Amino acid sequence: MTSELIYKYLSNEASEQEVEQLFEWIEASEENKKQFIILKKTWALTALSGTISREVPVVALQPKNKIRTYFKYAAILVVLFGLGKLAFYFNERTTVSKEIVLELGDGRLEFFTEKNLNTLVNDKGELVARKFPDQIVYFGKVQDKDVLYNTLKIPYGKTFKLKLSDGTLVSLNSGTTLRYPEQFGINGKRNVYLTGEAFFEVAKDKQHPFIVHSDQTEIEVLGTRFNVSAYPEDKTVSSVLVEGSIKMSEKENPLNTVLLKPSQMAIWQNQSKKITTKNVETSFYEAWTQGELAFNNTPFSTITKIIERTYDVEIINENAVLAKQNFTGSIKISESSVENILDLLKRDTPFNYSIEQKTITITPIFHN
Amino acid sequence: MNQNNSFELNLFKSFKEGDETAYTFFYDKYFRRIQSFSVQFIYDQDEAENLAQEALLHLWQNKENVESLNGIQAFLFTYAKSKCLNLIRHNKVKNKFKNDLLNHKERELDIEVLNSLQFDTLELTELERIILESISELPPKTREVFIKKRFENKKNAEIAEEMEVTLKAVEAHMTKALKILKTKLSDYLFLIFILIYNN
Repeated sequence: MTSELIYKYLSNEASEQEVEQLFEWIEASEENKKQFIILKKTWALTALSGTISREVPVVALQPKNKIRTYFKYAAILVVLFGLGKLAFYFNERTTVSKEIVLELGDGRLEFFTEKNLNTLVNDKGELVARKFPDQIVYFGKVQDKDVLYNTLKIPYGKTFKLKLSDGTLVSLNSGTTLRYPEQFGINGKRNVYLTGEAFFEVAKDKQHPFIVHSDQTEIEVLGTRFNVSAYPEDKTVSSVLVEGSIKMSEKENPLNTVLLKPSQMAIWQNQSKKITTKNVETSFYEAWTQGELAFNNTPFSTITKIIERTYDVEIINENAVLAKQNFTGSIKISESSVENILDLLKRDTPFNYSIEQKTITITPIFHN
Repeated sequence: MNQNNSFELNLFKSFKEGDETAYTFFYDKYFRRIQSFSVQFIYDQDEAENLAQEALLHLWQNKENVESLNGIQAFLFTYAKSKCLNLIRHNKVKNKFKNDLLNHKERELDIEVLNSLQFDTLELTELERIILESISELPPKTREVFIKKRFENKKNAEIAEEMEVTLKAVEAHMTKALKILKTKLSDYLFLIFILIYNN
């Protein structure tokens, strides 16, 4: 009843009598007044969105931007060398089909949706974190040694950012699971457990080394920026150091260890249990945290995996020539939609593709 | 995050250097928004239009003081807010109701609403995103009715005529839009809470 009245008033359709009625309600309590002020504020601020397009839903590319996007991809194509082509299918609907799941230390499950902004409270009722649609920020002082671990699962097609209670910033890539303490303990090391890919910006704290555990390796750091990729389907764990210093060791055999310098990459081989290092261009490994896919002479098989995770699709490549190629270039994830990319790529090098639901099949061109 | 970001960033640089074309872009982008905001407080389309023009002129004259792209809207809204407050305080806002006490009460309340607004750039950007998303999720016809009503401040009868539908249909669309947005509204209300009360 009242909310109908408020909306009527705000849209300037209420009669004087109705406005009087509304003001009676507003004056009835401080609580009512507060509520009204917030509503009016929101209403006035929604005048912000006057520029949105009337005919075209936001998920589709707006005609105005189409040309620009098009040139952007044209430019990217110049960068791509080889006869390469890649295909991805960005289906907006799939982004709601899977949700980010946070498993709390006591077993409670929290689901992240756009409609689910919230705060996280511990068992004592104290606020420990704020949740945003694509981010959680933990705060509060480090508590005693009863460290509670949460598990955060990011599905394919999503990425997420996490600020841990020590101030460490973690960007989580699609298809990643991270176990981390809600609040770090006063003593000891800062342990987190990773499956998948994450970029860490570790808050400096020499007294409490930060350790990223994966299945068979651990990476110890003091305060630094680095990427870790430890997807279970890959046969390797790799880490790229941007800044600072980190140490990668085998869990079973801590003597098997390497110390990385900035711009170096350490690669652990599951099979041989060896850790090798090489020099790399770090920006390629950081790009995904900025919403970009970057490839540097990357094999097509790796690229399809990345696309599958990023867009939550399945790619079947039946084009043998394509499978053997390497690619270099970068693509903004937010600006890519399947149609214009595929059409452009087809212009560059003819090929066939078909999209069915979330499956993309790439085939060679058939001559008839 | 924003599709137009690098595009606008370049325009912002040109704007800072005094490029009028770049300024025109921002003028077109924000004019209606400032007008629509102001009309919620001064209840007069023409006055609100004047105010928006003033705000944008003020922006051009003070371009040295705007430090970032997001700063543009914060600047404009802050200007509109203080202008609206001035107009209300100096009794320049026309009486809407026959009941004078009601007019007075409405003004007092509007002053409170305006004072509670902080045009923090983060708040504006985040709100804009959420609102755009919510509105874009409305069914097409409903969205059209809602936009005409909310952002072009048209009366139901005008909308019915423009869209060649019955008055009843317009009302039905509006009810539907509000119902959908109401559920969404509760979310950004929370967001406003944390953004405004947190500082």
